Amino acid sequence: MSIRTCALESKAFQKLKDVYENRDAVAQSWRSEGRKVLGELGSDVPDELVMAAGMLPVHIYADQDRPLTETDKYLEFAFDPMVRAQFEKIVDGTYAKQIDYLSISNSTDVVIRIFLYLREIKRVEPEKPVPPICFIDWLFTNHRLHQTRNEFIIDLFWKQLESWAGRQITDEQVRAAAKVCNENRQALRDMAALRHGESPRISGSEALVIIGAGLFMEKEEHTALVKQVTEDAANWPVLSGPRVFYTGANQEDLDLYTLIEDAGMVIVGEDTDWGDRYYDRDFNMEYPVIRAVVDRYMLREYSAKKATTPQRVGALEREVSTCGAEGVIFYTNQYDEVATWDMPKQRKMLEERGIKHTTFGRMLWPVGKNEDLGEKLAAFAAEMKGGNQ
Amino acid sequence: MADEKKRPDSKSTVVKKLESTRTAGAYQKQWFFDMKARVEREGCDFAILNADVPMEIFRAMDIPFVVNQWWSAICGAKRMTKKYFGLMQENGYRADLNSYDAQALAESFDPDDKKFDADGNPLGPWGGLPKPTICITRLTGDVQSKIFGALAENYGADLYLIENTVARKTPLNWYELTADRWEEIYDKDRLDIAVEELKELIRWLEMKTGKMFDINKLQEVMDLINQQEEYYKKIRDLIATCHPVPVTVVDTINAVMQAQWQRGTKWAVQHAKGLYEEIKALVDKGEAAVPNEKLRMMWLGRGMWQDFAFYQRFEQKYGAVFMWSMYLAMGADAYIRYDHGGDPLRALAARFIGMEDFLHMPPLNSSWFIQQAKMNDIDGVVYMIPDNDIQAVEGSYFIKKNMEAQGIPLLPFHADPVNPKKWNPETMTALVEEFIENRVIPAHEARKAAEKAE
Repeated sequence: MSIRTCALESKAFQKLKDVYENRDAVAQSWRSEGRKVLGELGSDVPDELVMAAGMLPVHIYADQDRPLTETDKYLEFAFDPMVRAQFEKIVDGTYAKQIDYLSISNSTDVVIRIFLYLREIKRVEPEKPVPPICFIDWLFTNHRLHQTRNEFIIDLFWKQLESWAGRQITDEQVRAAAKVCNENRQALRDMAALRHGESPRISGSEALVIIGAGLFMEKEEHTALVKQVTEDAANWPVLSGPRVFYTGANQEDLDLYTLIEDAGMVIVGEDTDWGDRYYDRDFNMEYPVIRAVVDRYMLREYSAKKATTPQRVGALEREVSTCGAEGVIFYTNQYDEVATWDMPKQRKMLEERGIKHTTFGRMLWPVGKNEDLGEKLAAFAAEMKGGNQ
Repeated sequence: MADEKKRPDSKSTVVKKLESTRTAGAYQKQWFFDMKARVEREGCDFAILNADVPMEIFRAMDIPFVVNQWWSAICGAKRMTKKYFGLMQENGYRADLNSYDAQALAESFDPDDKKFDADGNPLGPWGGLPKPTICITRLTGDVQSKIFGALAENYGADLYLIENTVARKTPLNWYELTADRWEEIYDKDRLDIAVEELKELIRWLEMKTGKMFDINKLQEVMDLINQQEEYYKKIRDLIATCHPVPVTVVDTINAVMQAQWQRGTKWAVQHAKGLYEEIKALVDKGEAAVPNEKLRMMWLGRGMWQDFAFYQRFEQKYGAVFMWSMYLAMGADAYIRYDHGGDPLRALAARFIGMEDFLHMPPLNSSWFIQQAKMNDIDGVVYMIPDNDIQAVEGSYFIKKNMEAQGIPLLPFHADPVNPKKWNPETMTALVEEFIENRVIPAHEARKAAEKAE
């Protein structure tokens, strides 16, 4: 299944796929024109502010074929393997040639420690080609004290961006950028509607391409392409097969989704930062700008890393319901195991609702290292189909 | 080894020396049973706190509590780990994750926790924890809210979470500032929000327990803690200057940690005083923990609770003495906060937000470890890195690099402090022996030769 001919025949999808597969191209073009590019590590760097500073936000991503020469020197093995591979590109000089600045949000413990290590590398080994860094120390516990603290933290980030940009960032510029981001999110939500329900027309792999391209290109162009793809996809054939929701490790490539889809399942949603969670919740244009930034990033759907188990159980229940999923695939990489603490209660909730599930833990990264994964997914697909009879 | 004594009832081969270690062990057991009896008798609130939660508030409010990691050590010592792994798995949890933090959670699944065997011996550790009504952790790691949330749910207790912030300011000489100049260690906004967190916690506890917080009580608690930690500072300084050392980590870790969990009490001050006097008497008598002391070893990482005898396996063969661990030295350098009649709440905030930073955040940890290694004439460092806990990851590369730049060899190894499955004493002994022979002894001899040449 994966990416179908009908999708490849869409010019808009082709363009998105081109960006998705050549992730550094737009940033390279920007920099060749003397414009600045900011790399984002962690899922909570506010695009609105980066864009208002006149910079292109791009996500840091891993290269699964690159030897981890530098990483093995600096990082312990308790780090998420995908983050280890991201770290390699930051320390080996790859990103020094692709981005001007690096912003790290404390979206998970692992990323916080990456910041601490990079800060220390810059202090004790200043010759290392690590870009200038700004850390955003969000607090995700939903209390007023922490909301106020977040407004202070975002103000610090704002000032850092002004320093890097060499100019003031005005409220109007942030609002203008926020409008662009909101339109982008709405376009993605409209696209996602074609994944949900009993007649999905966009596959999980196709969705990952559509969403993921937006992490590496200008938002306005991305929005236009997403709208066009959505229009095209309205006529794509309905996908058949058990509808599953994916929860767990971020998937920066299509390897796992391809395996799931090859097993005959249709992925109708996910809670990852490279999937549905990317476009959850808008910037509230009625609020003062800093409060609106905090509102958007602090209060969107709970992530596995920064929420309590009851919050995560509630999130999964909502997501599965919205997507119309018949099954859930839990998938965590070795050393990226925070989400596993939620799973016993999440599985119980699913079982009470008659929703089937399967769990893959201690998985190797990249996905191709897990030799029998395809067979296990096929077995789950068969179980799902049996359950439908 | 001088004055070797082995407890006749001990299953361990570890040899403990100090009376203070034994009295601390006996006290904590009696304290636990008294506290448990009180909770059951009065039906009052009882809290489980993560180690980095400011227990001083609970002490000042007279709310009974245990510290999660202290209880993990008790569970480990009572050989509950294997059973608890099974219980975690039976309840759908991974047994191999964060085992050091999850012992109390595992216990909460145990249907036999409060039962007795045919001989009348309790099946749970010390007959099991009393039923908690309050579970509190700080969000210093992603899993903390999950573990404490599950614990709270299993016991029907209330969960309270305290946020954590990341330091922008990182003074390398923090250990010189902690006692009197603690405002200088932190970003002001970070300290401000920590104080606000404390106020919110106090308000919540007042509502929950019906007890009113008294700032004067907190002042008393803070004063007692300063007195206690001052003795640790004197002990640490004394041991550092002794060649040979009068005691090893086998005595100091337990003696200090057991009393550290009782900090803020008169007993803890008296115990610390007694510990100092006992060690001072040994020094005055010229006694040595290992008379043939040749190599002074530093232990980095959590205590090897499941195999304390490990620390002593290198004494006879090499004269290698594990004489430094973070437990005593943290007492000496990290806890004291004089507020000079100011705000004890702010002084407390300045204690609890720093603990993770000092231990786990580069460069604060490595700069302190090096300062301590020099102060204690350390010849070699053995460094345990837990494999399964990102929270305990602390920049081992920087620690090793900086330590070895000072000419002090460091052996990093991976283990789990409470999981016997991940601990092979023979392999580990061989690893450390190889390290001593090939790295520590040559470095020691080179240093001595250089000193002679001077």
